[in-house]
Amino acid sequence: MSDVGVTRTRRSLSNGAWGALLLIAAETALFGTLLGSYYYLRFNSATWPPDGVELPAVALPVALTGALVLSAPPMLLAADAARRGRRTAAWLWIGVATVLQAGYLAWQIVLYADDAATLVPTESAYASIYLTLLLVHHAHVAIGVLLDVWVLTRLAGGLTSYRQTTVRVVALYWAFVAAVGVLVVLTQVSPSL
Amino acid sequence: MTTLGRTAARAHVERLDRVWREPRGVLGWLTTTDHKRIGLLYFVTALAFFAAGGVEALLMRTQLIGPDRELLGPDAYNAVMTMHGVTMIFLFVIPMSTAFGTYLVPLMIGARDMAFPRLNALGYWIFLASGLFLYAGLLVGEAPDAGWFNYVPLASKTYSPGLGIDFYALGLILNSIATTAAAANFIVTIFKLRAPGMSLNRMPLFCYAFLAVSFAIVFALPPLTTALIFLELDRQLGFSFYDIAAGGEPLMWQHLFWIFGHPEVYIIILPAFGIATSIIPTFVRRRMVAFPLVALAEILVAFIGFGVWVHHMFAVGLPQVTTIYFAAASLIIVIPSGIQLFAWITTILTGTPVFKTPLLFIVGFIVTFIMGGLTGIMFAAIPFDQQAHDTYFVVAHFHYVIFGAAVFPILGGIFYWFPKVTGRMYRERAGQVSFWLTFVGTMVTFFPMHVVGLLGMPRRNYTYGADRGWTGLNLTETIGSYLLGAGLLLIVANLAWSRFRGAPAGDDPFGGDTLEWTTTSPPPPYNYPVIPKVTSPYPAWDAEDREEDARRLAAGRQVLERGHETPATTVLDADYDETLEMPAASPWPPLLALALAAVVVMLLLGHWTTAVVFAGAALAVIAAWHWKEPEAA
Repeated sequence: MSDVGVTRTRRSLSNGAWGALLLIAAETALFGTLLGSYYYLRFNSATWPPDGVELPAVALPVALTGALVLSAPPMLLAADAARRGRRTAAWLWIGVATVLQAGYLAWQIVLYADDAATLVPTESAYASIYLTLLLVHHAHVAIGVLLDVWVLTRLAGGLTSYRQTTVRVVALYWAFVAAVGVLVVLTQVSPSL
Repeated sequence: MTTLGRTAARAHVERLDRVWREPRGVLGWLTTTDHKRIGLLYFVTALAFFAAGGVEALLMRTQLIGPDRELLGPDAYNAVMTMHGVTMIFLFVIPMSTAFGTYLVPLMIGARDMAFPRLNALGYWIFLASGLFLYAGLLVGEAPDAGWFNYVPLASKTYSPGLGIDFYALGLILNSIATTAAAANFIVTIFKLRAPGMSLNRMPLFCYAFLAVSFAIVFALPPLTTALIFLELDRQLGFSFYDIAAGGEPLMWQHLFWIFGHPEVYIIILPAFGIATSIIPTFVRRRMVAFPLVALAEILVAFIGFGVWVHHMFAVGLPQVTTIYFAAASLIIVIPSGIQLFAWITTILTGTPVFKTPLLFIVGFIVTFIMGGLTGIMFAAIPFDQQAHDTYFVVAHFHYVIFGAAVFPILGGIFYWFPKVTGRMYRERAGQVSFWLTFVGTMVTFFPMHVVGLLGMPRRNYTYGADRGWTGLNLTETIGSYLLGAGLLLIVANLAWSRFRGAPAGDDPFGGDTLEWTTTSPPPPYNYPVIPKVTSPYPAWDAEDREEDARRLAAGRQVLERGHETPATTVLDADYDETLEMPAASPWPPLLALALAAVVVMLLLGHWTTAVVFAGAALAVIAAWHWKEPEAA
């Protein structure tokens, strides 16, 4: 895979990056509402989690989120490499990030299946918001992995100005998903802290 | 210009005509990415929903024409009332504002399309799907009937076991995707595609209004979507978000709904403010007073609008500290609203107004907005609010604000831009008659509601007793609603007739101040044969710049004719940055909307696996959409 030079003359953010930032803005409001709802329900309850429900585990979810956060810098490095026209470097950085992200997702799916088997959302608001909050975040990770696969496929066919924007947009998305992941996991484990 | 120059200019125009031609017929409309055609689709669709919402309103008024009438039973009344609110807010006013913005924002900033033309089309098709979905509920006898704000526990499965509320929740999730997509598109268009020279301080106030509204939409819609997702999880899978027995909290719905719902009020009226600031300078022949203050006020209203939601919940019994904070915020928002109001009034008073139909509607708007605003200030006073809560006084207030302050400018705007869009003039005398009919109709319909409200008539009830003393006032309201209906019908008749028989309008029948008046009526698909030169916020009044445009066209400078090209500029100063190649007609937006609509239908029916299959189809469409890249992006 040979590196190709792509000239860059643009001074301001591309339309694509602006679009991604606005998507992130709307997503921030979405997660803000979900997290706000968690605490709203929590502070209106006498016991949280309700009696008979186990406290959430702390170590594993936090460690996994650490891996998710670690995957964000390679994505930003990939965006930077793409901007400089270094296609191979960009591809490799995205590859590294994808491995971390896909591993994170697979492990989380296993944990989620356990949670879903023990928590009963029909019986408690705690289980309802817990399972919903985590599901929405995992769905964002899953979409991110699909985006990774897309970008890796496209970059294998060459680097264009359009694809530079694509890498940048996906990197912004992952930075957001990682940042939200921290808030989500802290909320998730907060009853045990 | 010399003959040689004219020939050269014509050659460029012919080339642009060729480059920007779209497929003809139905296929052309289905696949269009032209913001003007999409704007017209929004317009026609929103108008159809306006008619449906209007019929629902007349049904309610006819039911209430006298005491103990039985045109609509209680269940039918609840359904009609709910559909009226949902239709007017989500399927008429917001899409109608989007119609204006989609058609006009690119023209006003001298661009050739929206920043994301296919996303623009996608927004329209999803909006159409959401409207058809909601009305499908009505047609199969499963209309939502828990009011437009759909409070739980009434909207829970226990008390609303049918599919009506599911139609509402899923339809509005679809609708909010469309609205958010359009908003993001407006923001990027306004930030990035302004013609070189149109720095932010030279941008028309109309665009400021759309910028402010779009930011409000991006942050206000997700809370609604989240609340709706919670509701559907409760209803379809038995989750416990709003179930108090399982530790849930019904009040959370009210919070989430109004965190969306109050910014929504400003989302509804700010575009109308933008229309007013377009019409006033043209018809009073002077520049807007306090231009920067009005621009800031538009943004401030959208911002403060996020801090006032609890004033819808003063009767809930929240802690006093909370309610007092929100009462104060609700009073503060009067200040930026007042700034705009005084700027409009001063501009009119210090200009030389020509009271043609568009300006008449704006004057009508100012009058009704003052009245609706004053009752709004009354509601910010907690004791008064608690007294008048759930009475017709509230109905009077928000119809003055929404019908008077949002729909009047929309009607004025329809008359104002009709010649630009169709190339023909409307009938001025008939337009003025229709203004007076709608204005008097509005006053006669909604003013007595203040009085019956203070007399204690509760809102949302399908009838009232003869012994209450409300009969005469209700009869008056109903007569007013018929007058209003007649006025609106006259507008439609006027425009329908003028569309085909009206006198040719020319490019600029009113001497407008913004760029759209400098191109032909209707504008060509590429809007401007040459990227316009801009040196002030009133570019259509800058004769020298327009002559410079003509010289550039003859010389072939700034024509950008190699493809669907439009310039991108820097965000603040609008310095030229790069030339963008915009996508042409595309089949993917309507197909993606179709796939998403299919997902929603399957979710409604509880066919989860099929829903997942359609979601997969949607992903495939997205992949196909992005497979072919523009040559230079």
